[in-house]
Amino acid sequence: MSSTTSTTVAEVKHPTLFNRLVPSVVSGIVLGIIGAVIAGVLINKITTALSPDSVPNDDAVTVAAYLGWLLFFFIGIGAFNGIIKWGFNRHEATPAEELELAGKDQGLWRYFRYTTDHKVVGMQYLFTVLVLFFLGSMGAFMIRLEQSRPGAIFFDPSTYNTIVGMHGMLMIATTIVMVSGPFGNFILPIMIGARDMAFPRLNALSYWLLFSAIPIFLSTLFLGGFPTGWTGYAPLSVQELTPGMDAYCFLILVFATSTTVAAMNIVTTVLVMRTKGMTWGRLPIFVWGVVLSVILSLTAFPSFIVSQIMVLMDRVFNTSFFLAASGGSGWLYEHLFWFMGHPEVYVIALPAMAAAAEVTAVFSRKPLFGYRVMVSGLIGICVLSVLVWGHHLYTSGSENALAAPYMLDTELISIPTGLFFLGMIGTLWRGKIWVTVPLLFVVGMLVNFVIGGITGIYLADLPTDEILHGGMFVTAHFHFTLVGSMVFGFFAGFYYWFPKMVGKRLNPMLGTLHFWLFEVGFVGTFGALFYAGLQGEPRWSANVAPPFATANTIASLFAVLIAASVFVGAYNVIYTLVRGEPADADEWGAKTLEWTVPTPVPLENFEGELPVVTSLPYNYGASLPEPVTSAAEITGAITQAPMQTQGQE
Amino acid sequence: MDTSLEHTEHIFELEPQVKVARARAGVLMLIVSDALSVLAIFAAGGYLSALNTLGQYKAPGDAGPPFVAELLIAIALLLSGFFYFWWERKARVSGGTGQPIFFLVALVLMFVAAVTETWFAAALRYATPIHAYASLLLLIAWFTAIHVILTTIIGLLVGGRILRGRIAGHEFIAEVTGYWWYYTVVAAILLWLFGSFLL
Repeated sequence: MSSTTSTTVAEVKHPTLFNRLVPSVVSGIVLGIIGAVIAGVLINKITTALSPDSVPNDDAVTVAAYLGWLLFFFIGIGAFNGIIKWGFNRHEATPAEELELAGKDQGLWRYFRYTTDHKVVGMQYLFTVLVLFFLGSMGAFMIRLEQSRPGAIFFDPSTYNTIVGMHGMLMIATTIVMVSGPFGNFILPIMIGARDMAFPRLNALSYWLLFSAIPIFLSTLFLGGFPTGWTGYAPLSVQELTPGMDAYCFLILVFATSTTVAAMNIVTTVLVMRTKGMTWGRLPIFVWGVVLSVILSLTAFPSFIVSQIMVLMDRVFNTSFFLAASGGSGWLYEHLFWFMGHPEVYVIALPAMAAAAEVTAVFSRKPLFGYRVMVSGLIGICVLSVLVWGHHLYTSGSENALAAPYMLDTELISIPTGLFFLGMIGTLWRGKIWVTVPLLFVVGMLVNFVIGGITGIYLADLPTDEILHGGMFVTAHFHFTLVGSMVFGFFAGFYYWFPKMVGKRLNPMLGTLHFWLFEVGFVGTFGALFYAGLQGEPRWSANVAPPFATANTIASLFAVLIAASVFVGAYNVIYTLVRGEPADADEWGAKTLEWTVPTPVPLENFEGELPVVTSLPYNYGASLPEPVTSAAEITGAITQAPMQTQGQE
Repeated sequence: MDTSLEHTEHIFELEPQVKVARARAGVLMLIVSDALSVLAIFAAGGYLSALNTLGQYKAPGDAGPPFVAELLIAIALLLSGFFYFWWERKARVSGGTGQPIFFLVALVLMFVAAVTETWFAAALRYATPIHAYASLLLLIAWFTAIHVILTTIIGLLVGGRILRGRIAGHEFIAEVTGYWWYYTVVAAILLWLFGSFLL
């Protein structure tokens, strides 16, 4: 458990304009571009000189340019300053230096620097996630436009494949960080009663690694894209001649490093920074979800990192990890990839489910139904999910004897998952339901997850998977699971915590419109694609064949509603930032610690002593207030209600 | 979008025991994550070796790493770990000073291992396309080289703190750096043994 001592800050430096710009993201980008050019030119000359035909190794040049970008970007943004001072300074960092690093007195500019304050990092993640979601959803809309009727409409097949690949990669990466990035950084430390994350500098590193991966991702557009799709399957990825594939591999390495750093930081924070009384049995369910998710990513991502190093070696050095003609195997890639690929679904799911559970308790005004069972459910999912990757290889010619264990294990996951969702429904049952935008998204999540979950059973069973694999049924299933369930969970958390993070209240009318457009559009789009899949439409086809035209036209029409929902959501955020009403410190009358601190949150979260926790944060009184109409009334009513803790029941 | 109060006059410092626990937990998690990468390499090597796809796993003439030279690197790494342990134990007892000569020897040995391993990795030459066996040897050589280089850099940073007298009061830095140091030695030796005898 953490405790802290206070030190008076003698002097806080006020930086000049130059000191504000250097180091910052501006100097990082400038130096990064210079580094990329220098490294690329250097390796171009070296590989040309070493080549018997005087031909440069394009893959080596691309990788060197990205390495140069990465190294010099981090020099430019000042990431190494702290490390060098840690090793070679005459004294430890003074409190004034620590405060400067945390962004004190730097206004909005602190969001563009290597700032260590966890709230700044959380906001950086939040806005990055929103921008990436916007770009990814526009990619999705382009896909639906192209598939709205048979034949090529806007894109040739290669461009279409690139758009599909970029959409997939962007959305998968964004959903991995969508909850644990913004809320795991901003909210989680306050929730456990900590003043910051365990490693503030690593916290900044995890975000800026993610940021530095974005130009690499966008550069694939100019390097021929990665027509393998987001899975990057070998040997196609090895044989694919465009340098865009190098960008894909490098992107994965940077992104996986970012998530690994973030995972280490979050786990350590929860292990050692909890305030007095915040025992494991009193952790808010959201904290459990995030911690288990990042433990899962720590376990799953190393094999993915190794797989991408191997692909890069195959491309740059002519090794043969995945080329059968030289003793390699495409199966090796599938195993290494899916050992990450399936747990990754739960890396995305666990924090979103936990955020939704948190929201459910608050707006039902009830303790979570079966808190311990729900936590056990999350742990059960975590354990089982690392053992199921083989179900992605059912039809790849794997040993038949492996099918039954993988089937069994895959279906076993439905038990802890079902228990968790049962807990959410039990929480809603006979609760004093306060219908808000966050709760709407939770209800949407429950509806969509039932569809996504039940259709998953058909894909977990080998006999039906033999028929459905590689088809639109799979596309519809995983969109119902990842988007209909987990992205809805993200939006539940987004509408719930936005007032605390930004200090302004999102417009509930626009929020409700956002929800209904999204839900109706989503169910319509992917419901139609379920039908197309059952008819036999394959996933990987740029042009829709005539037998599937009707289903695809319906899907594309409903996709217009999703696109409209994106614009409504974006307008709501921008409108709120510019003209939104200030939010209350405890906007929803919730009981977790983040709602006990002022808004805006002080630099070190808690003014004075850290709080002491004596019960679970769901101790809504037995004698609940009469139905109320405003947050202020609820806050007052809850404060006056007799405290009955769950632990005492 | 303001998330901080601008007039903070105090900064709250973590209690020493929290700093120690934080450092231990962070380094141990880094080791676990990295060890899983090593396991993935073992699994990939065993898999390709057992599959021997089209009988092309190993091309005629593909030789393993130079045994005696790699053995010498392994001995250097072991000695480096041993000297580090000696220094770290003394440093903990004597409040951070210890006997810096042992640390220096450990760092020099790690540096020598880093240079030699990098040189061996760069000198490995196989006819293209490089078959699976040789591919694995290259991966192991470079993976080891990068880890040993990283440990040398960490050693330089810790060496800087020793020179500045900043280990005293922060003995846990010596301890947790030791975790990574020993892990590097063990992982490098296991990878070498795997490449030499099990592929």
